[in-house]
Amino acid sequence: MKLDRRFLLRGTCQGALAVMGLPFLDCFLDNKGQALAATGKRIPTRFNTFFYGLGLTKSLWVPKGAGRNYETTEQLKPLEAFKQKMNVFSGSRVMIDDNPNFQHWSGVGASATGMSPSKNGQFDSKTIDQTIADVISRGARFKSIAAACAGDPKQSYSSLGGPNNLPAEASPLSLYTRLFGSGFQDPSRTDWKPNPEIMLQQSVLSVVAEDRKRVTQRLGASDQARLDQYFTSVRESEQQIAAELKRPDIEAKVEIPTAPEEMTVNSALPNMRKVLPLMARLGALALATDQTRVFNLSISEPGSQMFVPGDPLGYHQSTHEEPLDPVLAYQPRVARYNVYSMELFAAFLKELDAIQEGDGTLLDHSLVYGFTDVAFAKIHALDGIPVLIAGSASGRMKTGHHIVGEGSPVSRVGLTVQKAMGLSVDSWGGGSMETKSPYTELMA
Amino acid sequence: MRKGISVAILTAGILAGVGQLPAMAAGGEVVSMRRLTEQEYRNSIGDIFGKDIVVQGVFEPGKRIGGLIEASAAILSVTPVGFDSYSKMADSIAVQATSEKARDRLISCKPGSASQPDDACAAQTFNHYGRMLFRRPLTSDELQSRVKLAANMTKASGSFYTGLRYGLASLLQSSNFLFRVEVAVPRDNGYTLDAYSRAARLSYLFWNTTPDAELLKAAQTNALDTSAGIATQVDRLMASPRLDTGMRAFFSDMLQLDNFDNVSKDSLLYPKWSVQLAAAAREETLRTAITLALHENGDMRELMTTPKTYINRNLAAIYGVPFDFDADWVPLTFTPQQGRSGIVTQISMLSMFSHPGRSSPTERGVALMDIFLCEPTPTPPANVDFSAVNNTDGPLKTVRERLMAHATNPACASCHTHSDPIGLSLEGFDTIGRPRSTENGKLIDVSATIQGKSFVGAQGLGRFLHDNPKYPACVARKLYSYAKGVDSEDVKAREFKAATKAFGDSGYRMRSLLKDMTQSDEFFHAEPPLAAAKTTKLASQ
Repeated sequence: MKLDRRFLLRGTCQGALAVMGLPFLDCFLDNKGQALAATGKRIPTRFNTFFYGLGLTKSLWVPKGAGRNYETTEQLKPLEAFKQKMNVFSGSRVMIDDNPNFQHWSGVGASATGMSPSKNGQFDSKTIDQTIADVISRGARFKSIAAACAGDPKQSYSSLGGPNNLPAEASPLSLYTRLFGSGFQDPSRTDWKPNPEIMLQQSVLSVVAEDRKRVTQRLGASDQARLDQYFTSVRESEQQIAAELKRPDIEAKVEIPTAPEEMTVNSALPNMRKVLPLMARLGALALATDQTRVFNLSISEPGSQMFVPGDPLGYHQSTHEEPLDPVLAYQPRVARYNVYSMELFAAFLKELDAIQEGDGTLLDHSLVYGFTDVAFAKIHALDGIPVLIAGSASGRMKTGHHIVGEGSPVSRVGLTVQKAMGLSVDSWGGGSMETKSPYTELMA
Repeated sequence: MRKGISVAILTAGILAGVGQLPAMAAGGEVVSMRRLTEQEYRNSIGDIFGKDIVVQGVFEPGKRIGGLIEASAAILSVTPVGFDSYSKMADSIAVQATSEKARDRLISCKPGSASQPDDACAAQTFNHYGRMLFRRPLTSDELQSRVKLAANMTKASGSFYTGLRYGLASLLQSSNFLFRVEVAVPRDNGYTLDAYSRAARLSYLFWNTTPDAELLKAAQTNALDTSAGIATQVDRLMASPRLDTGMRAFFSDMLQLDNFDNVSKDSLLYPKWSVQLAAAAREETLRTAITLALHENGDMRELMTTPKTYINRNLAAIYGVPFDFDADWVPLTFTPQQGRSGIVTQISMLSMFSHPGRSSPTERGVALMDIFLCEPTPTPPANVDFSAVNNTDGPLKTVRERLMAHATNPACASCHTHSDPIGLSLEGFDTIGRPRSTENGKLIDVSATIQGKSFVGAQGLGRFLHDNPKYPACVARKLYSYAKGVDSEDVKAREFKAATKAFGDSGYRMRSLLKDMTQSDEFFHAEPPLAAAKTTKLASQ
């Protein structure tokens, strides 16, 4: 069926009157909130997270004015090119209730799950990317992909809840192999046909999945849950294979590069500056070719071990050991490390924004949730924990704003994000941070 | 048609040999599911299919709980990312095992036709490998599903061996292989591991691999249900050189050597640091521990004090000794003047628990207290301002001076007096383990007082640990927890009390500890969660 533009307008915006009042991009949403390319092919809305440790320096990052037209601050300067495609959230609070303040962890848990963690190093519930993936990833090859720019697979803040975090790809090569190695279906190929070997793999998986019925032993609750998790993983593999057997239903004008070389991947800043753009580019290509719709990129552990060669303290030690400058009233060395984190964030956004699709870029058809572990690393303070969001979720979220939280729970940002991603959710978070109030001023 | 019937009869005959599973014995219950570690997986595949099988893939990381990664194996599951990798590895191993090159060696029967299903040969193959992979016989249902899969895949591909490949791959990615499922059965007044679970626990402890044919046979014939039968197997396992593999895995975990995977050092300040050096430092520590514990049957306390070690060219450069040997590795005995003391002053321990550009007495102290004395340090209070005590441009030049300033704050002092003295006594070595005598131009003071005992420098620390009864008790606690896959902080001392005593009576020989521990009733004792819940419920009624 050939679709003309007029049909699309009516079909998606339900009548000309409605069309008039909506931003241009919105007209190209179908009734499920998916954007459409000019050819009528679907452009899914993607979700990304960007994690960086140790927060920012309050006096240097929080903009003075609220709403649109705020003035860019020193620490947000690396992101200036994306100012109109971003929202900045200051003044958010983390309420830990009766849980301890797990240094460098409580803030991660609160930002990623909307509730304060009860165990160190563990999320009490599914993280936001997985909640969103449950809804938006159907049909994509991978439900989500995580990558760790400092080379440690444990630096993943994506979890199904409990002790298991979803391990991250820890080098550009392993990320490449997972995405574009065996099983990759290039949507730009014209001679596409299903790979018969993949069909046989499907039969193997169904035998493995059926083993669930063959479990004869009695299990306690926690082992039962672990076994259920295993079989859920098997199921996800089956879905992955089903996706590999379908002709990719997406128009992607991108070229998949050859595999990157082996390289040193660690916490030294010069290496991170080489690795991050590569990983970001691979992630962007995976999103553009619909290998996944959820991409999580981290640059560090929560107490970031990033270091500039020659600095014996490094980032984390500096936050605790560098005195406040008596004149500036902040830690100058720490402030520089803060900016390095923002530069790496900008490098990620640049790769997303470089891919054109439909009438916008991949970044326009995405949301990127940028979060961290603390507001003020020196004393592990959580109040005022920064959240930065980029992309407009295919026009569902207004951008260019500075939102002043005034002590609202950080979970309000997460709820806003989920609504913008099209989830039918009325509340999010737990304990004192459970909220029903998204930032409605941002909802398009 | 006739052919179909005869195949069915043959298969039925093989299936009859599967027999009744202990796992299905009345009242049997899963007490632990332990996800294979990377090394356990690799060793198992190597022993089942041969060392030339290439295992390439990413393994899910573990977490350290109570000082041991092995404890997390009983808590973690398989995530989608992990399963994707296991599934690909399974297929790759199955492809190699059924390849033309390998099939004569690995597949003991020949199909009637290479292009037709042969259920009897498929069943024979799956029975054999299923038993090795699952560490118990397959149930008839598990077997039949694979035989059917292989037949279908043979028909689809026109090759019997392709059918086998997919059947094997399905076994290799089964939860029954990826997890060591430990099953307990009621015995006397409690629960104890069934025979196949016993075989696996012994095998992974002593050899870090899947049970061999003899252990499986001992399980099948119920020999592992008697102390004499266990003793026979323990003696056999301990007499083998493969005990080195098992104990390397234990020491690697206990000494936290996996941390090396993520240690980076500042290449400007420490240009001698390299990936090769890190690998060599890890190897040095394992060689030292294994030689003392197994080859010399030495006193394990000497691990804290011995001047003997093994070095290669990379390590010689850091230790400041000449290396003009043809061999890759040579033994070295430090002179007393070099100030070294056992593994405490090896490059591994000194560099793992330090910052990229600076040594950290706190990290070293916290790690050594945890590793050798089983005394974890509580996390510091969140809202501490460290800058006053950490400014190197101020009057406090050395780490000691800066750390001592913590003592003015009672909240800090309680923990810092606990762990810092150990770290301060090691300040004579920098972040990559090279000796030094000054820091920021000031002479380093390496004296320390801990728990009322004063000592000087690394050698004083080594002696303090050597003489501290908590150290051998901690080795026993860690070994017991490692073997059972439990959190060492939850284990009651009485559970391994007899083994600890035997350890001391033997003059702290590792072999005595291993032997006594594995022959105690407690070693196979289990607390099944369902039965425990039932008892609680009955009691409350």
